[in-house]
Amino acid sequence: MLYKTIWRWHFYAGLIVAPFLIILAITGGIYLFQPQIEQRLYQEYYEVSPAEEKISADEQIAAVKENYPGALVTSYRPGEAETRSSEIGISVNDESFTIFMDPYTGNEIARLNSDDRIMDKIEKIHGELMMGTMGDRIVELVTCWAVVLIVSGLYLWFPRKNKGLAGIIYLRLKNGKQIFRRDLHAVPAFWVTGGMLFLIMTGLPWSGFWGTNFQNLMTNAGMGYPPSVWTGSAPQSITKTKEIADVPWAAENLDVPKSTVQDYKALSIDNLMHVASLEGIDPGYTIYIPQTKEGVYTLSAFPAKAQHEVTMHIDQYSGAVLADYRYDNYHFMGKVIAWGITLHKGTQFGVINQLIGLLVCAGIVLTAVSGYYIWLKRKPSKKLGAPSAPSVKKMKGFLFVLILLGLLFPLVGLSLLVIWLLDWLLIQRIPAMKQFFNA
Amino acid sequence: MNKIYSILAVLLTSVCLTACTADPEASRLYRQEAPLEAEIIVPEPLEAGKTEAIKVMLTQDGSQVEDPEFIHMEIWKRDGTVQYGMTEAHNDGQGQYSLSKKFENEGLYYVQVHAKYHDSLIMPTKQFIVGELSESDKQALQSDVPAAGGSTGKHH
Repeated sequence: MLYKTIWRWHFYAGLIVAPFLIILAITGGIYLFQPQIEQRLYQEYYEVSPAEEKISADEQIAAVKENYPGALVTSYRPGEAETRSSEIGISVNDESFTIFMDPYTGNEIARLNSDDRIMDKIEKIHGELMMGTMGDRIVELVTCWAVVLIVSGLYLWFPRKNKGLAGIIYLRLKNGKQIFRRDLHAVPAFWVTGGMLFLIMTGLPWSGFWGTNFQNLMTNAGMGYPPSVWTGSAPQSITKTKEIADVPWAAENLDVPKSTVQDYKALSIDNLMHVASLEGIDPGYTIYIPQTKEGVYTLSAFPAKAQHEVTMHIDQYSGAVLADYRYDNYHFMGKVIAWGITLHKGTQFGVINQLIGLLVCAGIVLTAVSGYYIWLKRKPSKKLGAPSAPSVKKMKGFLFVLILLGLLFPLVGLSLLVIWLLDWLLIQRIPAMKQFFNA
Repeated sequence: MNKIYSILAVLLTSVCLTACTADPEASRLYRQEAPLEAEIIVPEPLEAGKTEAIKVMLTQDGSQVEDPEFIHMEIWKRDGTVQYGMTEAHNDGQGQYSLSKKFENEGLYYVQVHAKYHDSLIMPTKQFIVGELSESDKQALQSDVPAAGGSTGKHH
């Protein structure tokens, strides 16, 4: 009885969730290799030949400002090696570009529109199906439901009769097609379960709804990332500058209002980089340039390994370090999430990490496809072919698990309510539907 | 059954509603910095040919700093014709430091303070005018107008 109920839930959940899981696994499998792919794609933009003298960051930025009048300079990233170009982020008419600069000649190497970054597109599909907030919620819902699939799938897979490990951890090839097909789904699914659950749990903290709330909860409780690393805001500059009128002097008006001239100047990027090196931060970070009077310079680095992460907020005028959040300053859950992210992205342990990730992605695709395959093989022509089962309401234990999952993941809970409403209002009342869904 | 439904509904809405936001005070729970603050006071107006003192008030967390590791001041003219290298500032007591200079030429100047105390290093620069600005000073100031608007960039 319970077996049939769980099978039914596994069937319906799989039918809906599997296509999304395939998309996530494929885009994820590609994105794992983002560092290598981008290195290939943008090699010409990255490489410079070193010379004796380097042009200062401020001069490079001034050159970009001159080439792009009206552009807002939003970030500066010094090259982490002698042979690496520097990157200046600008925004022009709501479009953002990266300008790759040769720090030895001061010349622009290339301009890259952020919308043209292929890997960013892949990431957008992976994270939000290219549908913005709506897509983000769908991905989150799907991954939460994947947990339901894992739990129910494990129950169905769990060996009942003691007959060795055939069909449990390896395929049965000689027991006929039907058994082979079943094994083709259940056996790889078992192998991939741990990795898949890991990817789901490490991916959830950066989802828009569950993730944001979880991160807020952790940060506010003093258990997670310090504020501004993920959620929460950065401090403001503490240097007291003068209040200036919003309107800057018109270009033709050479009458400089003296009262506003005597004031603090924003720290130069070269001074800022000096602060960074004194604080023991190696190049490879990006400096985010404040666009408001109260803003701060934010120095941020999220390299391959979680232990090397830095988020530092610096007073825009004095260069005082206002907040210094490195991995060591994350609290326990923050460290766990940070490791989860670098492992999820496959950067923490380099190629081995990437290959394991790829293997899990391939396993997910295989499991999803074979799941469909075994369904299509036994699907009656006029019905969905769902296993019939008594109402879940009679299965107190299973119902409890569902409610628990619904509470832990409110989106799952919400979708459960929708399913029950649909069932109660439509499926149970319209005979054709009742028959089609085998309800 | 209805009981379970209603409990579920109530719990769900409460979870959704109490979905918390970032607490602005949360930073107190994490590593805190004690940034040094310097207020640079330049007499206004400043006339050419007179000896004037540029003062700096050093504070940390609201209290005066009387024994910084160092406090140096550096003054230069925008057009590069005047350059006073790093000079140790005079300790006037009660967190006040000063440097007296005679400014011979009119124009746009900068003073940068370099100070360190308890691991906090600062290097603020203040722009000031002696007498009147030259045309080239005015032009330089104009090309340096900070871009208006926009919001702070966010990573991730």
